[in-house]
Amino acid sequence: MQIAERTEWNLLATPLVAFLLLCLGFPAVVNLVYSVSDISFATLRSPTLSGFGNFAAVLSDGAFWRANWFSLRFGLLTAALECALGLFLAIFLAPLFKERSWPLAILMLPLMVAPALVGLMYRLVLHEFAGPVPHYLWQWFGNSPAFLGPNSAFWTLIVVETLQWTPFAFLLFHMAYHAIPDEVREAASIDGANAWQRLFRVELPLMLPTIAVALLIRFIDGFRVFDNVYVLTGSGAGGSTASLSIYIYEAFFKQGAIGKAVAASVLLFLASFAILYGLNMLARRKKK
Amino acid sequence: MRTISKTAARLMGCVFAGGLMLGSAQAEVTVLGWPGGPEETALRAAVEAYNAKSDVAEENKVELLFFNRDGFWDKLQADLAAGSDAFDINLLATYSIGRYAPFMEPVTLSEEAKDLYGETVLSTMQFDGQQYGVPTDLSLHFMYYRKDLIDGLMGDDAAKARYKEIAQEHLGQALEPKNPDEWTWDDFAATALYFTQAVNPDSPTRYGTVLQLKNLLFNIMVWQSIPRSYGGDWMDAEGNITVDSDAFRKGLELYKILYDAGATPRDSLSYEFPEANAAFASGQVAAMLQWNAAAGDLTSADKSPAAAEVTEVIAPPAGSEGRKTHIHGLGLGLNKNAPNKEGAKAFLTWLSSKEGALTYAGAGGAPALSADAVKEIAAERPDLVKLGEYAGSYGYVMNGGASANALAVYELQAKEFTGYWSGQQDIDTALANAKAGMAELLK
Repeated sequence: MQIAERTEWNLLATPLVAFLLLCLGFPAVVNLVYSVSDISFATLRSPTLSGFGNFAAVLSDGAFWRANWFSLRFGLLTAALECALGLFLAIFLAPLFKERSWPLAILMLPLMVAPALVGLMYRLVLHEFAGPVPHYLWQWFGNSPAFLGPNSAFWTLIVVETLQWTPFAFLLFHMAYHAIPDEVREAASIDGANAWQRLFRVELPLMLPTIAVALLIRFIDGFRVFDNVYVLTGSGAGGSTASLSIYIYEAFFKQGAIGKAVAASVLLFLASFAILYGLNMLARRKKK
Repeated sequence: MRTISKTAARLMGCVFAGGLMLGSAQAEVTVLGWPGGPEETALRAAVEAYNAKSDVAEENKVELLFFNRDGFWDKLQADLAAGSDAFDINLLATYSIGRYAPFMEPVTLSEEAKDLYGETVLSTMQFDGQQYGVPTDLSLHFMYYRKDLIDGLMGDDAAKARYKEIAQEHLGQALEPKNPDEWTWDDFAATALYFTQAVNPDSPTRYGTVLQLKNLLFNIMVWQSIPRSYGGDWMDAEGNITVDSDAFRKGLELYKILYDAGATPRDSLSYEFPEANAAFASGQVAAMLQWNAAAGDLTSADKSPAAAEVTEVIAPPAGSEGRKTHIHGLGLGLNKNAPNKEGAKAFLTWLSSKEGALTYAGAGGAPALSADAVKEIAAERPDLVKLGEYAGSYGYVMNGGASANALAVYELQAKEFTGYWSGQQDIDTALANAKAGMAELLK
């Protein structure tokens, strides 16, 4: 029986394994080879092994570290803001959604728009002569801030990202909040807990795993940001809004530095793997 | 059972017939063109005219292939590098010829081509002394300015005195207002400052100019006509990088003065072609250096009602070496892996003939034709007269501007120079970084 089951498992798992090997394994191996090769578009099929020069070039490139710093700040700030705002909305609007669910659909709308289109939309909305926001600011106050100027571009990008992705965090928190059994809340009330105590001592601790997952997902999404930033500001004046994804894209396509771009992506992969592995270990230890 | 067999046979037949049709399609000449805009319209018209010719064999008829403009060059590069034979002829641009040349074959143009285009324009499609394409569309820069504002300034003595004061204060020279066709870059800057409300609260426009300063290679192409007009080049004849010259310094400082004085919108560091056009079309900008492609919209009363009727177009201002305008061309060249090379060559030869070029121009394309050639189409396309004249008289390609890493050089300059304009680094650092990077890229 056990042998038959194992055979069945192997048979069922084979297509998935083959798919992963083909779609992830092969590019990964090619990437590894390219990262230690002297490679250009002209020599894509005949790379020359050159050691770890590409890694050294990336690690000694100030622009790479600036891009890392941008991505880290962007990922942390947007994740924190989206989760805080999403959590507040999920709890604050909970009575409303209990009565009517249609406003939920409206709140979800920003998720339906492609990030590149969001970038394009804000390019228009924030333009001094074509955009409604600067238009009314000029009309009412006789001035308007430079939303995409060198000092404010980062914060404008944070706001744009937060406005688009807060609904995602909100959706997770809304589900988690409504999944808490009413009996638990009633029991806390019977024990004399007021609304704040119920929130901080009962509801939030029960939602903690969801909050952690939401923070992680939003951080990963923010860290790897590309589309809307690229459309809105490109890599920014002097490279000031270059995320790590933009750094890799520009090194690959714009500079033709394929080895360097791939080496940077390998480093990103290793760092991501280490962080996720660490988090996984932490979660397991907590379970024990 | 019989029904199943019959259905299977029909299916097989369909697949086989489909394969044959695919085979016949591959025997034609496939052209990968620039999608959208007048280039596509013109190419479609030229192809239609070519296919209608009686001496074009059935297997040499031309069919068109387009993919999206976004990321076009990156996708084309990947396709060519992978040895794609999905197209016989592909689009190429002056600044990317060196990158694509290893995957393309030089072409022989028609005998008329030299007289039709002239050497300067043909050089936009050359790499290592060989012709890689037919120059189908040319891009260069115009100075767009508000004639009503300049006329007002020229006819008002008090305004002239204020202009002189502003020029002295910001540029260190007591300049007099001039007719824009006689402007030097300093005159342009003085005019831009005069028409800026942050500098001159009585200015009828909010800004004197709009500079497109986004960290983008095309914006450097617009800007670099300033250093070029003062004799600047990427490299000297020996291949030494000369980007740290006084000419480049002059161009960088001029833009910095205008940006810091508020003569251009404060968001200009995120501006490119459409943003700059929108600013000018709003009627709140006095003068702007911009691509010729904007002329249609900016002089159309429907599209730019606030400015069109008072907008004039001239060549860019002069430096110590005269007037200069960056030129680059779009063109069509031969894929090394073309399945139908002979058919492709025949089409390219026709396209570079007078008949082909005039057909393309008549349908909305923008080839820079010599004065003699453009006469025949001047009534329909008066803009092409100016295009050909400016390209021939003021056009230039930087030394190294068609090399394999030309795009990367523009990218590097865009990053370093926008870093200077935004105040993140000083001019010496920006020029030193550009020089070091260019030495690596152009060696």
